[in-house]
Amino acid sequence: MSGSSKEHIIKSYDDELARLTGEIVRMGELAVSQLESAIDVVERRDERAAQRVVANDDAIDLLEQEISHDVVRLLALRAPIASDLRNVFAALRIAADIERIGDYAANVAKRSIPLSMVAPIAPTNGLGYLAELAATEVREVLLAYRDRDAERAYQVWKDDADLDEAYTGYFRQLLTYMMEDPRNITPCTHLLFMAKNIERVGDHATNIAENIWYQVHGEPLNTQRSKRDFTSSPEMTKLGTKPD
Amino acid sequence: MNNDTLYLRRRITNALALGLSTFATLIGLAFLAWILWETLRQGVSAINLNLFTKITAYGEDGGLLNAMVGSLVINFIGIGIATPIGVLAGTWLAEYANRTKLGETIRFLNDILLSAPSIVLGMFVYTIVVLPSKTLTDGSTTYSGLAGGIALALIALPVIVRTTDEMLRLVPSTLREAALSLGVPQWKLTMQVLMRSARSGIITGILLALARISGETAPLLFTAFGNLYTTVNPMDKMASLPQVIYEYANQAGDSIHALAWAGAFIITMFVLILSLLARLILSRNKVSHD
Amino acid sequence: MTESAAAGIHPQATAASAPIAPTKIQVRDLHFYYNGFHALKGINMDIPEKKVTAIIGPSGCGKSTLLRIFNRIYAIYPKLEAKGEIILDEENILDTRYSMNKLRSKVGMVFQKPVPFPMTIFENVAYGIRHHERLSRADMDIRVEQALRSAALWDEVKDKLKQNALGLSGGQQQRLCIARGIALKPEVLLLDEPTSALDPIATSRIEQLVEELKSEYTIVIVTHNMQQAARCSDLTAFMYLGELIEFDRTEQIFTKPSKKQTEDYITGRFG
Repeated sequence: MSGSSKEHIIKSYDDELARLTGEIVRMGELAVSQLESAIDVVERRDERAAQRVVANDDAIDLLEQEISHDVVRLLALRAPIASDLRNVFAALRIAADIERIGDYAANVAKRSIPLSMVAPIAPTNGLGYLAELAATEVREVLLAYRDRDAERAYQVWKDDADLDEAYTGYFRQLLTYMMEDPRNITPCTHLLFMAKNIERVGDHATNIAENIWYQVHGEPLNTQRSKRDFTSSPEMTKLGTKPD
Repeated sequence: MNNDTLYLRRRITNALALGLSTFATLIGLAFLAWILWETLRQGVSAINLNLFTKITAYGEDGGLLNAMVGSLVINFIGIGIATPIGVLAGTWLAEYANRTKLGETIRFLNDILLSAPSIVLGMFVYTIVVLPSKTLTDGSTTYSGLAGGIALALIALPVIVRTTDEMLRLVPSTLREAALSLGVPQWKLTMQVLMRSARSGIITGILLALARISGETAPLLFTAFGNLYTTVNPMDKMASLPQVIYEYANQAGDSIHALAWAGAFIITMFVLILSLLARLILSRNKVSHD
Repeated sequence: MTESAAAGIHPQATAASAPIAPTKIQVRDLHFYYNGFHALKGINMDIPEKKVTAIIGPSGCGKSTLLRIFNRIYAIYPKLEAKGEIILDEENILDTRYSMNKLRSKVGMVFQKPVPFPMTIFENVAYGIRHHERLSRADMDIRVEQALRSAALWDEVKDKLKQNALGLSGGQQQRLCIARGIALKPEVLLLDEPTSALDPIATSRIEQLVEELKSEYTIVIVTHNMQQAARCSDLTAFMYLGELIEFDRTEQIFTKPSKKQTEDYITGRFG
């Protein structure tokens, strides 16, 4: 179903497609390590390291440009169709998702700087857990992409619910802290934004999963996903009550 | 270093091959040029008005008028018989019997006829035309221009069949399919489309057949025989240029030989003109196709 | 090798789930033999009316053969035999009683190489019409003009109708052949690799023409050029080794073919 395991008659075509896959995987790995570094920076309260993470985002952007260029080249010179077309098309979209993931990692690092200027607060530790979930998602989805494994991608897509739930919990926790002591509001707001960024990383991982599914099966992954980020629901205004 | 010797060897081999083939070509051309030159030299000097006004009955004081008229009549009869039969047979072979066993067999037999010695054809016509007419007319008609024409027709026929067949088969099959897919019937297709495409080729074939028969001598000796006087009656014995050349060449006397040369010159020119005409028609056709 | 054959299934004729237009030509269990060689093995397909159906596949897969059965042009060669049914407007054209004249006036064909007749441009178009209809001079002039206009050739040749058609360029000759075909007002137009001898510009003109003609004609086009099938057809059939492997909407075939063989062929993985 997922196209063919056979090689193209024109060998260099295969080389170019393989190169594209390699670039995506490399870009993804870079984004994951950026995310991990960003969390590390938050925990270590290291401003200079934070700036390094922010600067490193350029490398991801550069890779994305390279991929766009390769995709345009492939489209123009090879006129890919069927599975090849889906392959190239998916690569373009996945690259855009990874680029966003990189941006979020950089954002987290950026916010760690003002955060490190105030006294450390307890909920900071919770962020690490969210980031771990997100990084695992991205890593998994990259493996699924490398192996063109739609089932594995689907698993990631479902697992994102855990991240959403964790985020909702963390959100509630931060609200509690802010209500306890208004001095917590500044660091908590930063943490809130950072958490939201990490939650978005998960969403992009699910986008990637959807693209893998499309690439393999030629049709969208159209199961309605239940949304577990309830922070925008009116329920959340009533503190401490668990929405159900 | 090694390469240089390799290239040198190649250059030598090349020069050798080129030299040998050029030499061989020159031998062939030299004889052709020699023949043409002799014919031209001997023939042109013998050309005079008597040639076209007097008949062979006057011997060395005569001309070739009766032979020229005879040749025209006999060739006309020959080509007149061979053309319709040849074109129709060629059409049948190409359009109706192509790729059938019968067609292949007939094509093969035609090729045999094409290379049959002309003297055999002459004897054949002698047996089936001259002898029976002798019996039928109590000896008053024996040899005749008609018999000569029939003999020449047998020589021209396979040439015309062959060229018609080839020319029609050269017409791309898609042209046939295109016409048939418009619902046009086969006969209309053949007459209105294919013949039009193959026309110049077929005409060329007929001209070449004419050139071929205009130089034939052997079959005429048994059939048209010869005549010292001018006649256009096909039932009479008839003179022809090749036959007169043949006879004069065997006689003694410079002026008789000069007449033979003049006849040879006239035939050569005739054949040359026909060949040029054929080439002209073919090349013009080619241009219009591109 | 052929998975559908191994399973004994013949790909179903229905193009996509919902029919996109009423069926014009129904092919039912069509077999074809060349000197005993089994060239087409049970073809079933429904060709929709006033749509462009492209047939693709490697050389020798039987796509041209199939096309040439639609107007029975194969019948001019000996030792060829077609079995099965091809139903054009409720009548089986393979029935020997089916009138050849009727068939050839209903189904026009254009070939790989442009083959104008050795006549004037005008005569090329008028020639076929004359065989089927008696028209007055004025009516004939109108018909020829119409045909040349529909074939997008009128403006280029209107001042040289009396010139030999062989003087036209390859692309013009091919459009002349199309004009000749549509001059008979057929219902079906068969195009057998119509642009394989033409340059890209002439090819685009023909493809544009196909686009325009499909509002009036049912068009079946055999092509080796995958992009051409993608560009100008509504439906695409993929044939391999005398079988119809897949027949579906062109968009579907070129984004997500359902058979692996189709996928391998169109993405250049064959062999």
